[in-house]
Amino acid sequence: MADSLNAHFLSRKLHSLTGLVPVGGFLLFHLWENSMARKGEQFYNEHVVQGIGDLLNYKLAIELCLGAAILFHGVYGLVVWWQGRSNTRRFRYGGNLRYLLQRITAFTTLAFILWHVITTRIAAGLDEAVENNLFLHMQRIYEDPVNVVLYIVGIAGATFHLANGLWLLGINWGLTTHPRAQKLSMWACTALFVVITFLGVHAIWGFNQRLF
Amino acid sequence: MATPQEFLFRIKRQDSPDTAPYWEQFRMPYAPGHNVVSALMYLREHPVNSAGNKVAPVVWECNCMEEVCGACAMLVNGVPRQACAALLDGLPQPIVLEPLSKFRVVRDLQIDRSRMFEALKKVKAWIRLDHGGDIHRHAPLISPDEQDARYLFSRCMTCGCCMEACPQFHQNSTFIGPAPLAQVRLHNSHPTGAYDKEERLHAIMGEGGITDCGNAQNCVQVCPKEIPLTTAIGELGRQTTAQWLRDLFAR
Ligand code: SF4
Repeated sequence: MADSLNAHFLSRKLHSLTGLVPVGGFLLFHLWENSMARKGEQFYNEHVVQGIGDLLNYKLAIELCLGAAILFHGVYGLVVWWQGRSNTRRFRYGGNLRYLLQRITAFTTLAFILWHVITTRIAAGLDEAVENNLFLHMQRIYEDPVNVVLYIVGIAGATFHLANGLWLLGINWGLTTHPRAQKLSMWACTALFVVITFLGVHAIWGFNQRLF
Repeated sequence: MATPQEFLFRIKRQDSPDTAPYWEQFRMPYAPGHNVVSALMYLREHPVNSAGNKVAPVVWECNCMEEVCGACAMLVNGVPRQACAALLDGLPQPIVLEPLSKFRVVRDLQIDRSRMFEALKKVKAWIRLDHGGDIHRHAPLISPDEQDARYLFSRCMTCGCCMEACPQFHQNSTFIGPAPLAQVRLHNSHPTGAYDKEERLHAIMGEGGITDCGNAQNCVQVCPKEIPLTTAIGELGRQTTAQWLRDLFAR
């Protein structure tokens, strides 16, 4: 019983942890780096794509680790999702709604990441023209308003999932126990959600400044 | 609101655990001050449905009549609550009565709550007495603040309302639900109960335990005894995390 490798507890803690680092951390970094798109094609291709790319050692290894973390978080998340029976229609409380939203955004985020990675990272791997001018590639994607909407929804879903996940993590790890602490951390997470969602929308705008 | 001439009930009935449920309507002449239990008592004396047919009286459970035993918990107009504390005056009609949906129905409004009692056993929600005789020692002093905090948790009556509202607790899940977790919080903080703290924490660190909580926090909204269930869950998050680290590094 007092088995120190409590597999169930460990998996839940790992699920929570991988959501924060590396996945959540990468989301922050990724939105920040792309929010520099507003500085134009040359700056973006040279300093963001090339510059940051050169700074990273073992880029493929990092990408594989990130992919593995997302896969674990996603697949184990499906198990967690399967255990719940949402009842927002009977119990209309804010917390219950966020419980449901956390599960919905899990799916939108998974689908969005898949589509995004295929049409950017993998596309760049297959086509040198894309690789050489990622700025132009993104600009073309955003020429279609449908893609713009999909990106905004995809990003907002991911940022919600991260911010709300952080609030959940605070409770699950026992950092915020009292209702007052949980309320304050809710404000902090809401602020985080607003800021990083803005960062994401700002990045989209950066690629196509005629958009908004 | 004009005083109604009579009360109309829509009751979800079920003859045995394995038969299909069905709805039946009943009428009762108006009288002030009725609650759901007194209405069910009236229907037991007059087991005639609104079509005028004599039927088997509706089965339900009740005991204390003052919202402390937990036995009469049911859905009253969709809300999990104690039937004895649900006054009919002011309730919208028809008054809909259903058994709690998360438990096996025994008959009509009577449910099988053994799952809750099994959970209490699993987490050792009691204080172990090591000695029957006088040990010539005073009981440990407990500060009034700590008494107040603990008193909140001691009011749980195992009614099941928190489980009814919990999206993680259902017939296909192994989650023990909010109430037994709050009892772990209570008994872990007791000077004698603390001797079994580690065992209780291990019991809730496995499948169906604390990690299966999804923090929808419905439980704390519906608990008729206003037990700070989510605070208990947060504190247990801290206790289990610390226990896990002790298991990993301090053995
Ligand atoms: S915690 Fe509240 S709602 Fe849950 S069983 Fe105890 S008294 Fe009922």
